[in-house]
Amino acid sequence: MAFTLYSLLQAALLCVNAIAVLHEERFLKNIGWGTDQGIGGFGEEPGIKSQLMNLVRSVRTVMRVPLIIVNSITIVLLLLFG
Amino acid sequence: MHAAGLAAPAGTPRLPSKRRVPVSQPGMADPHQFFDDTSSAPTRGYGGQPSPGGLGYPSPSSSHEAPFLADPMSNMAMAYGSSLAAHGKELVDKNIDRFIPVTKLKYYFAVDTVYVGKKLGLLVFPYLHQDWEVQYQQDTPVAPRFDINAPDLYIPAMAFITYILVAGLALGTQDRFSPDLLGLQASSALAWLTLEVVAILLSLYLVTVNTDLTTIDLVAFLGYKYVGMIGGVLVGLLFGKIGYYLVLGWCCVSIFVFMIRTLRLKILAQAAAEGVPVRGARNQLRMYLTMAVAAAQPLLMYWLTFHLVR
Repeated sequence: MAFTLYSLLQAALLCVNAIAVLHEERFLKNIGWGTDQGIGGFGEEPGIKSQLMNLVRSVRTVMRVPLIIVNSITIVLLLLFG
Repeated sequence: MHAAGLAAPAGTPRLPSKRRVPVSQPGMADPHQFFDDTSSAPTRGYGGQPSPGGLGYPSPSSSHEAPFLADPMSNMAMAYGSSLAAHGKELVDKNIDRFIPVTKLKYYFAVDTVYVGKKLGLLVFPYLHQDWEVQYQQDTPVAPRFDINAPDLYIPAMAFITYILVAGLALGTQDRFSPDLLGLQASSALAWLTLEVVAILLSLYLVTVNTDLTTIDLVAFLGYKYVGMIGGVLVGLLFGKIGYYLVLGWCCVSIFVFMIRTLRLKILAQAAAEGVPVRGARNQLRMYLTMAVAAAQPLLMYWLTFHLVR
């Protein structure tokens, strides 16, 4: 039952890293999740798949630079304190 | 003054829009004021005191301070210091609202004893309550003090703290207690709560639900399960595992029904208001989401308490 806030932070960091690593050209296009393949009509309500694709694209765009910083800090802290 | 008196009978159809009842409560001078303002009386007393040095010391010692405080330099220094402190306080007050929405939080703590009693009763026995809609007054939801259906943060906060204490008590009776275990329980429960909130917000985003369910509302609803957990653990301490399972089972079913009835109005707004059974892919998805959220509550209630009752 050692589910602490710190392990939640670590899990969140790993998840965001995993989303950021998905390459647009080599991978997402091949499974049909590319950003140019999902735009539906304007009258339609976006389905789950297009919402997910939007989410992946937004996370990759927004979190790129902060992830570099947070990852570096985490690596340094883990090296120092285990 | 109770909301149930204004509810329509259960059989009549209801408009899909939110019910704006022009409620004129006799006790409310200002609809945006949640608490009775008693601050004027004491401050007048304090402010009215003359300040020969601004210190308010009793008169016997004032003779000692007269030569000291007559010195203009120290007078000026004291005035400057107090103005600096006031300026700092102003700055903090102005900036804290950016990070923690203090005025919004005040709404969730505007409760009184009657509300708390009725809400606790509703949490363990939601089966007879007919009207689950929150009343509105001039476009803002009515404070929890006046409407039993409004979410509040007082009960979840108190229940969370009580849960930590009861967990410590339970561990102590089994000789497994140590002070850091208490902190571990607290952060574990908080981590589960955060995870739940994030998961529900994510799924609400994915299903594109147009709801007025704010994050704080969600935290309030998810915090209500601690009440059942406390009950289960306490009875488990007194009567052993049988009592624990009985009370926990009862509270699990109650929280399940409570969450479904509350979330149905928030997530499935149109379909629920018309009373038609949910059809169509979108509504079905929302129904599944409501059921999933409600079903997660009993699971978490069991997961967070079973190790406390042996």
